[in-house]
Amino acid sequence: MRNSFLRIFILALIISSLGVLSIYSSTYQKEGTPWQDIHKRQILWLVIGLACFFAMSHLNYRRLWDANYFIYGVAIFFLFMVFALGIIRLGAQRWLKFAWFNFQPSEFAKLAIIIFLARYFSRKSVDDISLLSGKFGIFRGIILPFIFVAVPMFLIIEQPDLGSGLMLLLVFVSLLYLTNVRLKYILTLMFVLILPLPFFWHFLRDYQKQRLLVFLNPNIDPLGAGYTVIQSRIAIGSGGLFGRGWLSGTQSQLYFLPESHTDFVFATFSEQWGFLGSILLLLLYYLIIRQGFIIAQRTQDSFGRLLAYGISLLLALQVSINISMNMGLAPVVGLPLPLMSYGGSSVLSTFIALGILVNIDRTRSVF
Amino acid sequence: MERKNILSFVIILIFIFLLFGLSSLDLLQGDKFRRLSDSNCIRLIAQLGARGNILDRNGEIIVDNKISYDVMILPSELSQLDHILSGVARILEVEPKELKAAFRNNYFSSSIPVTIASNIDLKKAILLGEYKLEEPSIIIQPKPLRHYPYGPLAAHAIGYVNEIDRWRLTKLEDYGYKTKDIVGFGGVEEKYDYYLRQEEGGLSVEVNHRGKFMRVLGFEPPSNGKDVQLTLDLRIQKIVEANLSGRKGSIILMDPQSGEILALTSYPNFNPAVFVTKRTKLIAGLFNNPDAPLINRAISSSYPPASVFKLVLASAGLELKRINLSTNFLCKGSTMVGSRKFSCWDVHGVQDIIMAIAHSCDIFFYKTGLLVGAQNIHDYALKLGFAKSAGLELPYETSGFIPSPLWRKINKFQNWFDGDTANLSIGQGDCLVTPLQMVDMMAIFANGGYLPSPYIIKAVGALDFSERKKKLTHVPFKKSTFEIICRGLRAVVSDEKGTANILSGLPVAVAGKTGTAQVSHGATHAWFVGYFPFDKPKYVICVLLENGGGGHAASAVARQIIEAMNTQGLI
Repeated sequence: MRNSFLRIFILALIISSLGVLSIYSSTYQKEGTPWQDIHKRQILWLVIGLACFFAMSHLNYRRLWDANYFIYGVAIFFLFMVFALGIIRLGAQRWLKFAWFNFQPSEFAKLAIIIFLARYFSRKSVDDISLLSGKFGIFRGIILPFIFVAVPMFLIIEQPDLGSGLMLLLVFVSLLYLTNVRLKYILTLMFVLILPLPFFWHFLRDYQKQRLLVFLNPNIDPLGAGYTVIQSRIAIGSGGLFGRGWLSGTQSQLYFLPESHTDFVFATFSEQWGFLGSILLLLLYYLIIRQGFIIAQRTQDSFGRLLAYGISLLLALQVSINISMNMGLAPVVGLPLPLMSYGGSSVLSTFIALGILVNIDRTRSVF
Repeated sequence: MERKNILSFVIILIFIFLLFGLSSLDLLQGDKFRRLSDSNCIRLIAQLGARGNILDRNGEIIVDNKISYDVMILPSELSQLDHILSGVARILEVEPKELKAAFRNNYFSSSIPVTIASNIDLKKAILLGEYKLEEPSIIIQPKPLRHYPYGPLAAHAIGYVNEIDRWRLTKLEDYGYKTKDIVGFGGVEEKYDYYLRQEEGGLSVEVNHRGKFMRVLGFEPPSNGKDVQLTLDLRIQKIVEANLSGRKGSIILMDPQSGEILALTSYPNFNPAVFVTKRTKLIAGLFNNPDAPLINRAISSSYPPASVFKLVLASAGLELKRINLSTNFLCKGSTMVGSRKFSCWDVHGVQDIIMAIAHSCDIFFYKTGLLVGAQNIHDYALKLGFAKSAGLELPYETSGFIPSPLWRKINKFQNWFDGDTANLSIGQGDCLVTPLQMVDMMAIFANGGYLPSPYIIKAVGALDFSERKKKLTHVPFKKSTFEIICRGLRAVVSDEKGTANILSGLPVAVAGKTGTAQVSHGATHAWFVGYFPFDKPKYVICVLLENGGGGHAASAVARQIIEAMNTQGLI
């Protein structure tokens, strides 16, 4: 119990420290105080994040069961707020401006939806306290929860943030798979989702179409949409086996690599620490995700178990999609690398999620 | 398998996939990406050294370099570029449009600095240097340019410099030559390009994503080319060029004792500076001129030797004992060879060998030629250095041509007739020689029996070549042969009726031979080939005036030259 707390705490701390180093290295040469101070802001977020982590690890996760609808409602409310008042940055309307920081509700919405789904699928039958989800028909098993997911998903995609939206969908499908909902229904859902994909093409924004085309061949627009991927691949590849050394990465420090402290922080890290450093980072992420799966597996409570799976899956998907897109193996979508990328919302939501994870393990024996 | 196990398996697979992706980028393609990364942020700014100077035998500069300044900028973002260009335009006092146009024309790739203005003067370069503090993307590049203080003087011996052409590039690529290199064309510049050529140094600098200069990574100083010292004497060269004064032709002066070329000129000539300043119209004019000013007439053109060739006949006749000092032939103005009538240019009466050389009597040499035989004439011509290149270190030397019965039989399937022998005896017909070969031949008589191999390079860098280059081939003629011919050559000048009597009034005793070559079109070529002072020869001279009239015209030019050399105390 204390064991898993310590493990996750240490792993998260190491990863986020590496993140601060990378953020520092990619911004310390930029002019102007906002850039000079960016690593300090990240440290501040980490401190707040750690506080949330401790708090959440002591807050019984069953409270989330009760607060479920409230949490879901708040998430939807904030997403609507973004729709109405959000500030536009990098061509997307994803942030809400608060006193001294920008708040990105979609990061928290992901967590809220996982909590909601975990609760939805772990309701028990009144008669024999078996899980209801096994008896769900196609409406209650697939369509109803999909509607609950689709509302925030639509709001997020409209921001536009295709990456986070699709991430929600992936988490939803994986969670469905982990519940007792029949495989038949899941396959039907996937079929229904995949079939109209060609029609969705027309609903995509121009830049999203470009990114997809560029993913297939970055060289069709090397100075435009393909630029980031090309520079990111150069940054990672030029690291070689041992890397170029801290503060010696030319790609990130001479700003050839855009977004080198946020979405492409992995490339910044990899350029400086090389293949060996990157393997270490992958290993750290794998360990933290595995810890999540272990916690899920040994939790008897189905709500806790689903919640733990959901959190681990969210982490795993974000990490793998972000790193794949850094390496040019996935289309560029606006997904941060959890714990590494600069950004308060991402840091906070990740630490809250990890706190919940630890608390599930801590309270497991009670039931 | 349970669903949760399948899911964790999928997660593991995803991480393995990431691992493969990472090793492909880092390990398999790492070198490629490292190169790409370097080419992103490292810019090389070449700095040119100076090409070696070309000096005369006394160390006087014939060709050197002067510094000019080029303005280059590192390609960067468009908005910044406009700002920089307008700043530079203000200092250079030109329209920003011009600079923009120059930038567009010279832009090659984002990784190579672009030249926006060339050859700006020092004052503006200093002003720009101050502006550079604000805009470090500006590069002010000192560039040594070829400078010709005497304009077209000795242009053919020196050659010119220009951007390397495709043909030379394919030949020289292995020796480190690159496109856009400046290399020598013609003359010493071409032949000794490898030594004269400077080595490029340069600056490697780091730039950021906007092309803005960040810091200097390294500097390799350029090294200058080696100086080449020629055997030319600038004073004599000036006299010679002044006296050729716009007539087509060539004049060469050589030291008969060593083979050093002291002056070498060819007209029409050209100013090599037009290639430096890239004045396209003038350059095109040079290439299109029907008089071919770029051709070095001293070595690359061949002419009929005419009467000068009689010295070959005289040598052959004396050596083969077909004639001697007491041989006399009667010149009545013409003679019959076979059924054809061959005439002399005058009626000379009874002529011995000395008189025949002095008066350039054709009849005497027709008869000598028939006694000696065409093949022997050919062989003796070769002994005197004709029909093979003299081996001067300038490119594009032609070897000339001496016909022979055997050659005609083999190549033209025609017979050789006595008429051909007669024609050859006075240096007409198919035979062709270069002015350089003429000088070389005359040197044998001047130094008493040695065929020098002419050379024009005295030293390269600190290495003195004069001893190594001096190569005299002994011509094994009898002493009396030389004595008789030299007496004849002296009589050409000293005899009242000698063809070069015009030279007799000079304070220096001159010996030589004139020639008047008939050509199929236009006026005759005029030759004078001689040496002076007669008793202790220091100079051999060859004057050729292309379509310049009779031998006396060439003699007159020789006279002016020798007079001028005498007044300057060079003899």
